[in-house]
Amino acid sequence: MVVPDPDPPRNAALARLRAELAGLTTRTPAGSAGAPIPIFADNSLIGAGLVRGALHEVCAASPGSGVAFAAILLARCGGQVLWIATEQESNLVWPPGLIPFGLAPERLILARAARWPEALWAMEEALRCPALGGAVLMAGAGQGLDLTATRRLHLAAEAGGVFGLLLRPDGIAGASAARTRWHIAPLSSTDAPRWRLSLLRQRGGAPAGPWNIAFEAATGSLRLEAGGG
Amino acid sequence: MKPARRYLAVHLPFWEAEHLRQSHPDLPADTPLALWARQGARRLLVAVDQAAAAAGLEPGQALADAEALLPDLQVLPATPETSAAGLRELALWAQRFTPLSAPLPPDGLLLDITGCDHLFGGEATLLTKTLADLAALGLTAQGAVASAAASAMALARVQRDAPIIAAGSEEKAVAPLPLGLALRLPGGMVEDLARLGLRSIGDALRQPRAPLARRFGAPLLNALDAAAGHRAPPITPIAAPPDLSVTRALPEPILTAEAIAALLDRLLAALCARLARAGLGARRLSLTAWRVDGTEQRLVIGTGAPNRDAGHLARLFAEPLASLAPELGFERFTLHALATDPMGAEGQGALPMGAAPRPDGVLAQLLDRLGQRLRLARPAPMPSHWPERQWRAAPPHEAAIATPPGWGSRTAPVLLRRRPEAVQVTTFAEGAPAAMHWRGRVYPLTRAEGPLRLEAEWWHGGTLPPARDYHRVQLASGERLWLCHAGGRWVVQGDLP
Repeated sequence: MVVPDPDPPRNAALARLRAELAGLTTRTPAGSAGAPIPIFADNSLIGAGLVRGALHEVCAASPGSGVAFAAILLARCGGQVLWIATEQESNLVWPPGLIPFGLAPERLILARAARWPEALWAMEEALRCPALGGAVLMAGAGQGLDLTATRRLHLAAEAGGVFGLLLRPDGIAGASAARTRWHIAPLSSTDAPRWRLSLLRQRGGAPAGPWNIAFEAATGSLRLEAGGG
Repeated sequence: MKPARRYLAVHLPFWEAEHLRQSHPDLPADTPLALWARQGARRLLVAVDQAAAAAGLEPGQALADAEALLPDLQVLPATPETSAAGLRELALWAQRFTPLSAPLPPDGLLLDITGCDHLFGGEATLLTKTLADLAALGLTAQGAVASAAASAMALARVQRDAPIIAAGSEEKAVAPLPLGLALRLPGGMVEDLARLGLRSIGDALRQPRAPLARRFGAPLLNALDAAAGHRAPPITPIAAPPDLSVTRALPEPILTAEAIAALLDRLLAALCARLARAGLGARRLSLTAWRVDGTEQRLVIGTGAPNRDAGHLARLFAEPLASLAPELGFERFTLHALATDPMGAEGQGALPMGAAPRPDGVLAQLLDRLGQRLRLARPAPMPSHWPERQWRAAPPHEAAIATPPGWGSRTAPVLLRRRPEAVQVTTFAEGAPAAMHWRGRVYPLTRAEGPLRLEAEWWHGGTLPPARDYHRVQLASGERLWLCHAGGRWVVQGDLP
């Protein structure tokens, strides 16, 4: 049975309030003006690409593949890039090796934190700063990165419009406020590096992949291999 | 006419011995102490403390004689460098009274107190307080105030009643002082002057100048003129006074973090206003906090680019402020701009309210903030093929250095081990790696490229590290590593994409 609307003006007010609330909860990120960062030349696979002003996660089966994928994404986000790691990290990011992936050393600022909380703080500060194009934080295996921490980072990225990337080791579980979580693993190759990439989760979307991809240094693009999907 | 400068001179008659006693708390306090130095084959006293002086010992005496006179005398070798350094430290300590303080080796301090004395309630109070504070440090001190530095020093060396001499009457005040003690003249010259009947400064000043200069040289006349206030040799303050500084003395000591932060905001606002008037931006700031118990604590922050935005500078201080230990509270704060650079009006400090700052400025501010807690670097390419020397860490605020074409290559690793990881590698007969024993497991290598041989940079000279053979290997999992074979050892040096 349909009850007739007893009080139209009151319902109109409610509707207006609801619209207002919706506007409050789905905030428009400051960096939404920038176009999303494409992954493949053909965007049909995963929509328009990775949105800026948001936090994304990359889980890597091997350290090298994760760093290379991060470099490809950061190369495409433009602007200055802050690369944050802790002193405990046994690997140093090697700027000459990032050039083939399009990330020139001129765009790179390296930050090393003595302790993990400082690295986390620096990442949040960086994501809030609209002068940066992107920021990446290398999170080791044992480092506390719970839902609250990732939500803080995501909100900071929304506020600053900065493309935020977390490089995490393979096999992490647990909740995260990141917009997407990617997984990358190396594949045997003879020449150009090849990886198996999958989208483990995305907010408001379904997981996708895996795809077998290869990086073409000549064009700086990721090529999807036939039959990899 | 400019008002005369005012100088406070402090003479520390037992400085060397008392300073040494401070650094050797194990020395018994009630036994006399003397310091000696070797002069040729003889060991002579060079400094004594008050107890030893009271017993009749004096510098210049032979050590053996002194020990015979006073059997319980403590003797230590003199350390002139240490006491000179100590005197410089003492001059820094004295900056609590005036920013212009100078050590006067071997045993004096000179403070330019022009315009500072009212902060302490007048010259007499300042002089008393200075001597009392020195006494609290365990130092015997005599002081004097005059309008000429050398007059004040001469008076401080002789008179123990802390005289304060009005501007213009220096000559009269120093006239009765004995030449040797007041002017530090060499012993032989004092004796020669005494033979002529000249014992006090006044005696010497009354003599015709030309014969005196012929007989004793210009240094005597210069010293006499300086003491009489006719010449004013410049004094060299211990540290160049900072470009700009602001001081607040508090009627009540403060100890809460909020109160200190609020005070810092006021100091920063005052300093930034001065910086703006001078067209400068701060590069390095120090905040000195004096505690009630007379100790001081100092915080220093730096900025990558000249800055006079009080809010930004306050944020840089936020972290170090937590390290202040107020105990019973701070009674005085000084904010110094230690280093400044010219800064135009277009800088972010002068922007009208509400205008968006330039992104450059925002990035610089971010780097400043991060730089207080993290190590930041911009990679700058270097002309070297040796992996560890391919780039250096440049300051992040510097303009980025353009990458020369050809620098970096497709074969370079994306990650380098901070410390190369030793592995055991079995090789095929021709030397190519076949399998590696790594982290407790054996990994067959599905693919290996190499070797790429790198010879050490022999043109730098010195002992050369052995040549390195680099191999790009691939495990069955697809993971690619950068192996280095040098001097018979295999290491994992990096990760390939």
